[in-house]
Amino acid sequence: MTQVFAKGVGLVKVEEHWDKNIEYLMTKAAIEALKELRIEKIDAIYIGNVGAETLQYQSQLGALAAEQLGLIGIPSIRVESADSSGAAALREAYMAIASGILKTALVIGVEKLSDGLPEEFVSLTSMFDKYEYTGYQGLTQTSLAALLYQHYLVRYEIPQDYVAQFPVIMHENASTAPHAQYQFKISIDNVMNSPIVSEPLRRLECTAVADGAAAIVLCSRDALEKIGRDGAVEVAAVSMSTDFVSPFDREDPLKLGAVSLAFNDSLTRAKMTRKEIKIIELHDSYSILAPLILESLGFSQEGKAGIDVKKGKYSLSGELPINTFGGLKARGHPFGATGVYQVAELYLQLTGLAGKNQVDGAKAGLAISLGGLGSTAISTIMRTG
Amino acid sequence: MVFRFRIPSHWRAKPFRYRLIVYRCEDCGMVHQYPAIICRKCRSTRLRHTQLPQTAKLLSFTVVRQAPVGFEELAPYIVGVVEFEDGTRLVTQLTDCEPEELKIGMEVEAVVRKITQDGPSGLIIYGFKFRPRIV
Ligand SMILES: [Zn+2]
Repeated sequence: MTQVFAKGVGLVKVEEHWDKNIEYLMTKAAIEALKELRIEKIDAIYIGNVGAETLQYQSQLGALAAEQLGLIGIPSIRVESADSSGAAALREAYMAIASGILKTALVIGVEKLSDGLPEEFVSLTSMFDKYEYTGYQGLTQTSLAALLYQHYLVRYEIPQDYVAQFPVIMHENASTAPHAQYQFKISIDNVMNSPIVSEPLRRLECTAVADGAAAIVLCSRDALEKIGRDGAVEVAAVSMSTDFVSPFDREDPLKLGAVSLAFNDSLTRAKMTRKEIKIIELHDSYSILAPLILESLGFSQEGKAGIDVKKGKYSLSGELPINTFGGLKARGHPFGATGVYQVAELYLQLTGLAGKNQVDGAKAGLAISLGGLGSTAISTIMRTG
Repeated sequence: MVFRFRIPSHWRAKPFRYRLIVYRCEDCGMVHQYPAIICRKCRSTRLRHTQLPQTAKLLSFTVVRQAPVGFEELAPYIVGVVEFEDGTRLVTQLTDCEPEELKIGMEVEAVVRKITQDGPSGLIIYGFKFRPRIV
């Protein structure tokens, strides 16, 4: 097995790109990722996307991307695992390079949600759960997240503002992130006074319609010697795990078993300990997922992540910064692109390119991407080579 | 997103949606909402066709305000998780009540109600919902 490195990222600002189509968005991210690299040949393209069939009536994004990039002839495929599709695409590319079959690969995450009507956006997320069980009844991802949230508040007897603190720090981090969807700060009162979407979830605890594309170039150690080691970050491990698709089918719905399994596997493969992780990019598509993930990872005790975030542990200047560019809440959550944004953001941190959001001295970072409410979890560890 | 409710799909689902027929693993007790060949928890092949009880306890509930396609005119509606005596959970709509009347831990019972309709000439989908138990 060869080591795998990331070199070069491209991030399109997350927003509603009414005037740009899905091909344009993915090409823009890819060209930016490739622009300063003297790569002779890209061996394959991997694309993370979830909604193109539903919202753009477009399948076969693989061939579409190869054509748009003027790379006709090379293998190119789209990977789907709900809103962890981007991380899943990255994992496929990682495995192909680690195995020695490919030397270089381009990973693109892309999603264009603004083409859908609001109810179509909601329906797309209903597909993340088991449609014949929950979706047909009108259960949505948001309502299932709200049910988990209520269950959490009741079990651990904590006030809601402990969980609602997470969006506050997300917006703080996004306020200085040029590619973030919401570059402004909010207060805990703003969150707690925002309209209720699904009790107890409030508007400012959820993500919104977003378009975006992110790209990252991966290569083997050999290929890296040719293009130069400067600005390369090692992809130390990309591990994936699964769980019962519908959260209340799990023995304990407040434990994200797939997150624990994927994280432990990635630590083993990277031969690292949890203490070496200095930054986490995590999947806060709903505020409640941030504590559930941190507790499943073991960085907070059960029911205590809200207390830890109030104390500043997870702030940019804290002991273990999370979502350093705003996370899903404030950088934005273009579903299939999100997993690639997360890893690209770790790349910016580890190469000192994070600008005002730079966390000094970090040598290793973790990205946790979820499909739905933890049905799929992908754990990526990046470290300075 | 036009053809959401396929006739064969609803026809297949009727035992579960109308009568709460499920497939229970005789080895570990895990419930499968639709016919399964192998237990998704312990991989046993001893699955028995059974009916869930008609009463359960309310574990968690919320209100859907941002509806998916086909539910726009029904919103807001209440959804929740109910738990049967053996610990099996089921997500469901809650009906015949306002959210203020619901309390976590209260007894609820199954009824069959209209879930949605695919436009004026489309399929009408019926299925279980739960309501506060009428003593
Ligand atoms: Zn079993």
